[in-house]
Amino acid sequence: MPRFNIHHITRYTYEGPVRDSANQIVLFPIKDAFQDVEKQVLSISGDPSVDVYKDYYGNEIGAFTHAESHSSLVIDSRIEVVTKQRPPLVDDIPAAQQWDYLLQLRGQVPYIDFLLQEKFASLAEVLEDTHRQEMLTLTPLQAAQSLKTYVYDHFKYIKGVTSVETTLDEVWKLRAGVCQDFAHFLLVLLRQINIPARYVSGYICPNKSGMRGEGATHAWIEAFIPGNGWVGFDPTNNCVADDLHVRLAVGRNFSDCSPVKGTYKGAAGQTLEVGVSVSYESGRTTDDIATVLTPQPAARNGNNSAEQNSYRRYMEMQQQQQQQ
Amino acid sequence: MQTSELLNSYSVDPATWDEMYTDPERTGGSSSVERTLDLVRGQYRPVVDFMQQMSIEELNKKEELAKRLFMSQGITFTVYSSGEGIEKIFPFDIIPRIITATEWKYIEDGIKQRLKALNLFLKDVYNNQFILKDGIVPVEMVYSCPHYLREMHGFHVPHDLYVHIAGIDLIRDHDGTFYILEDNLRTPSGVSYMLENREITKRIFPDLLPSNNVRSVTDYPNILHRNLVSLSPRQTSNPTVVVLTPGIYNSAYFEHTTLARLMGVELVEGRDLVVDNHRVFMKTTAGLQQVDVIYRRVDDEFLDPLVFNPDSMLGVAGIMSAYRKGNVAIVNAIGNGVADDKAIYTYVPAMIRYYLNEEPILKNVPTYQLGHPDEREHVFANMQKMVIKRTNESGGYGMLMGHSASDEEISKYKMEILKDPRQFIAQPIISLSSAPCYMNGKLKPRRVDLRPYALCGPEGIQIVPGGLTRVALREGSLVVNSSQGGGSKDTWVLAG
Repeated sequence: MPRFNIHHITRYTYEGPVRDSANQIVLFPIKDAFQDVEKQVLSISGDPSVDVYKDYYGNEIGAFTHAESHSSLVIDSRIEVVTKQRPPLVDDIPAAQQWDYLLQLRGQVPYIDFLLQEKFASLAEVLEDTHRQEMLTLTPLQAAQSLKTYVYDHFKYIKGVTSVETTLDEVWKLRAGVCQDFAHFLLVLLRQINIPARYVSGYICPNKSGMRGEGATHAWIEAFIPGNGWVGFDPTNNCVADDLHVRLAVGRNFSDCSPVKGTYKGAAGQTLEVGVSVSYESGRTTDDIATVLTPQPAARNGNNSAEQNSYRRYMEMQQQQQQQ
Repeated sequence: MQTSELLNSYSVDPATWDEMYTDPERTGGSSSVERTLDLVRGQYRPVVDFMQQMSIEELNKKEELAKRLFMSQGITFTVYSSGEGIEKIFPFDIIPRIITATEWKYIEDGIKQRLKALNLFLKDVYNNQFILKDGIVPVEMVYSCPHYLREMHGFHVPHDLYVHIAGIDLIRDHDGTFYILEDNLRTPSGVSYMLENREITKRIFPDLLPSNNVRSVTDYPNILHRNLVSLSPRQTSNPTVVVLTPGIYNSAYFEHTTLARLMGVELVEGRDLVVDNHRVFMKTTAGLQQVDVIYRRVDDEFLDPLVFNPDSMLGVAGIMSAYRKGNVAIVNAIGNGVADDKAIYTYVPAMIRYYLNEEPILKNVPTYQLGHPDEREHVFANMQKMVIKRTNESGGYGMLMGHSASDEEISKYKMEILKDPRQFIAQPIISLSSAPCYMNGKLKPRRVDLRPYALCGPEGIQIVPGGLTRVALREGSLVVNSSQGGGSKDTWVLAG
């Protein structure tokens, strides 16, 4: 039962004073048989009252506002979480029976939301390239494993080439991206063969060999596999998500699970820095003790062209902030 | 003699129910038939009689006066697609549409029954989902509706009331049977025209209303205000109620200002409000003032940029958290669009049986779901007889009238349908009843519908006796939407 201390800092720095900030945070780890939260200390600059509620998918969501003028916003979350190893995966039911079972789930709550098909221009090409027909001759578990490996093999892990607004067509063309893109793509492939699949956001706690997705929030997917229930697949690291993956939220897609997002009124210019560090129970950390903040790609704003125009830049406009 | 002229020019389509004239077979467009007052339905006789006493010059003057009143009072609406000046005067016909006490009782009972069921449906789909578990409404139908908001799930709304204000559209077919055409449970508009039309009638025909025993509609703003106040989460004698408008470019901006004025409450835009510590405040010259009840005319999607459309400049960021905490009442509730979706509409009679164990009083128009392959095939083979609508559009936008569309338009529309069939329904073209309109010194039959407005409060459902009668002013047209060139009439409900 690994025990992790996770420190997650999100810092927005604005070019000038802003106000009327309203934010939503999805930073509360899921509590279930495989994961328990021993402690969570959340501190937010300005000390707003955070309303925590459960959303439709069972995630804990926090909402807070900061109306007074401020020039930075820091969300600092420290959690102590214990994870449990999952039982080995089983795959002893005949394939045809499993696919039939999945077919019955199609019109049912909650699976219906996780079977939502996304249409995009290159879909036909993608399906051909991933050998959709052959997938259906495997068991759902084998198919899911195979598609996870497909994404890992065919996409390059490159930071900064995509953003939350990058379309599937663009990701397909680039054959590159970060964990969000890998997860998004695997979701599409699984849903196409009628395996319910949901997006997961969380943290990855590195093993000795190192993992992609450290130092930031991570994303992967969970697929509903007959006989096993929801099984995590991490296409970025080509593994089954087990006790090194700490789950924050599940949903249909990224926007259901976006760890931090908000709006405010004021200056258009903002910088966002995010840092995540993980240490084991012994106090041993991944790199060094301090959580390293890394600048993130600029979030989309109401008006980017305003940069040269000081008047417009400081004009009261509604801005968005979202961690990518 | 001009008196018979007024009536003699009135030739009713034999296949249409006329609100005024009883015997369509005898007219047939022939001018030799004597049109007497005997053939005019009882409820219209005093009005026709009164008009026969007047000269055409006098009637023209009345019409002119009505036009000037509309203009000077700025009673307008906005058409989005007509590249010209965006604000238009809402065309008004001076002859009232008259509904008898018996007809009204039937309509009233039918709408109350329907709204009770629809409100229970909303509570159910956002909580236990019994109706889905029992297979009465298909899960796919609800979950594929873009207005089914997962954010509303498990949410407690005050008094379990989702629909506070509803506008229910009714039409009559050739034998006079009333049908429900659609339910409007989000931000139904048009009630200000109901009120203004009555004011104009008072000005142009001051004696007619009392002598005909017409029931008053002027109580509407008072009932609405009383209901809004009763929803206030704060126990205060004078809660702050506001009307939230998207702003001056909205087609119903006139209505938003009218309702705020008649209720004596503030009209605000999103930028006038701010959320702090899960409470909504209005920015005033004297500082922030807490808002208790918001009658919003901003669509769900734009209401909270934090939760819904992040590009929205019309909403208030964080308002959902204030709503969730029960610190502000929002009217109508968020997420109602799943109940007035045009594909879900098909299941409303089943909902009435399921929740109320009653037979539906008012009928639905037969509706084909284009998401069903069989029904789609049938519709595609009979496009000329159908009207096809998008399930989530209103105001007559995005609609195809099969009988008047060209082959090219039809095949284009079919392509559009095939992209996402779930988002379309088809209905046989119902001819709509006709009612007399005053046109260039003559009475002419024109097609009408009826939208009564229901107000649901903790005390129950009240339907103001009246409504908005919309009229297709073009000869032969069946489209009454104001956005598509329709006008309106004062709507009289008689006391008995």
